[in-house]
Amino acid sequence: MQLARALSTRFLLGLLSLLFISFVTFLADEIQPGDAATVLAGEKASAETIERLRENLGLNRPWPIRYVEFVSKAVRGDFGTSYYGVKEPVGQLVGRNVTMTITIASSAILLASAIGIFLGTLAAVWQNKPPDQGILFISTFGVTLPNFVLAPILAYFFALQWDVLPLTWSVDRVAPDYYYLILPVVVLAMRPTALLTRLTRASMVETLRQEFIRTAIAKGVPPFRLYVKHALRNAILPVITAIGTSFGFLLTGSFVVETYFLLPGLGSTTIDAIRKGDVPVVQACVMLTGAIFIVLNLFVDLILPILDPRIRESQV
Amino acid sequence: MIKLKGKSPRKKRLGLIFGAGYLVLLLLFAIFGPMIRNAQLSDVAKKVDPDIRVYNAVLDPVSSSPFAPAGGAAILGTDELRRDIVARLAEGARVSLTVGLSVQLIALIVGVTVGVLGVLAPKWIRNPLMRFTDGMFAFPDILLAILIVSVVGLGMGPVIFALSVTAWPSIARLVASQVATLKDREYVVAAKAAGASNFYLVTRHILPQITGILLAYSMIDLAGTILAESTLSFLGIGVQEPQPSWGGMINGARLNMNSYPVLLIWPCAVLSLTIFALNFVGDGLRALSDPRDRSA
Repeated sequence: MQLARALSTRFLLGLLSLLFISFVTFLADEIQPGDAATVLAGEKASAETIERLRENLGLNRPWPIRYVEFVSKAVRGDFGTSYYGVKEPVGQLVGRNVTMTITIASSAILLASAIGIFLGTLAAVWQNKPPDQGILFISTFGVTLPNFVLAPILAYFFALQWDVLPLTWSVDRVAPDYYYLILPVVVLAMRPTALLTRLTRASMVETLRQEFIRTAIAKGVPPFRLYVKHALRNAILPVITAIGTSFGFLLTGSFVVETYFLLPGLGSTTIDAIRKGDVPVVQACVMLTGAIFIVLNLFVDLILPILDPRIRESQV
Repeated sequence: MIKLKGKSPRKKRLGLIFGAGYLVLLLLFAIFGPMIRNAQLSDVAKKVDPDIRVYNAVLDPVSSSPFAPAGGAAILGTDELRRDIVARLAEGARVSLTVGLSVQLIALIVGVTVGVLGVLAPKWIRNPLMRFTDGMFAFPDILLAILIVSVVGLGMGPVIFALSVTAWPSIARLVASQVATLKDREYVVAAKAAGASNFYLVTRHILPQITGILLAYSMIDLAGTILAESTLSFLGIGVQEPQPSWGGMINGARLNMNSYPVLLIWPCAVLSLTIFALNFVGDGLRALSDPRDRSA
């Protein structure tokens, strides 16, 4: 019962945050000079034409009414049309790009989870010995180095010096697509890998101190079984939470990687639209990114009690 | 940001000293770097190009390439527009430090106010205030910053505003948790019983206790702010050209990355060192302000 209440509170809070974001994105259109009417009418339009268009579009109504309309349309995925290019419907434009972001973010989180859990376990097994210190040292760089420093460095060596990977995504790709995504995924995976390594290590160290581990050792459980079945299974829970939140950060934080490698994704579309002042596209991107992040965090909250009976019971 | 678990206090103190030394040098570089460049230029050069960022063709009229090699009049060479790399790094340092320090200052003022009010104000102020603060954590900082920049506009002012908005909630939360524990301490209760006002309690008894932690925290947070500023500038939605910034320099370096990797190496190195130094200093300060750590 209590669990259900906690979850519904979370859900309501998420909805509230999304409303807040929608309001700020709505403001984006209000504050900036020009509106849909001036853009649609074109540069040569007279003041009267713009005024008539404004009336037709309903832009001269008071803002609360327009805000409600904005939200109700946004829920249905209707953000109007882009100000530039072929004036494509924004929903379509964003939908086209979101696949790329999901692809690289999922690949990156898979890579990061595999390497992070593996290295973290190794580090915990060799606590305070050279392998552990080495792993911790490297992970410090992983946490501290920003993506936009790592991306050019890797691109310089792998694409320019050694010429083994393509530098950027392009329309006329000569190799299979995944070939172009290797560098972006590696760059994107760096930070979560380092974080998950540290977290797995800390959680494993804590678990290895527990009494049931001592009992298992005394009982003669072979080392591999001890570390994987006894310790890791107990230590993995906070790591799973972190994988969920990291995935959220990856999905909503691929701005740098997408912009640097010229990938047509949600992040690069957002940045591009901000620079051009393409308000409807910015609104759609930001709302979608915010929604993804909130839904994902909610999902993590949901999945934890399913995975861990202790949480389920403590909240019942 | 990074936790140096298991580091001995001696190592932490060493990190603090080296980090602080680097930061002092960086500060001097940011203040005087552009001036040295300016003094080096001949009056002729200044007349040809009053913008001191643009390295002069006058000093090096023979070469047709805009890229001057390192070691000449421009110590680290010049970029594709004949601009001196050292001068640009110094101005980039200015931008990063100005943005970082302003943001931290604003965040501290707002964060401390909200944090204190969030514990000591009457319930009808306290609760909504803390719920709102919690709500600020619902989104990744960089997403929120990008959203704000998209509303407010591009340039240094909007960047400071956007990053301040994302920086204050964690300070408010830290202050609130500290105030909540300190307000029940005996000496605070005693002062209250003696008739001290809430304002007096906060300014005389509570805040002085947490300045150490706050300072350590904002050093580490400063690293995050400088990173965020560089990220925005790198993406082209932060500090705008021709104003140099480290993020902008890293982004600009890609054009000639193959033949002139120095253009990339220097801003990356300075930025990374700054981030590391701030983390070391923050960590060292935290160790100093924590008596358990100090006695160890």
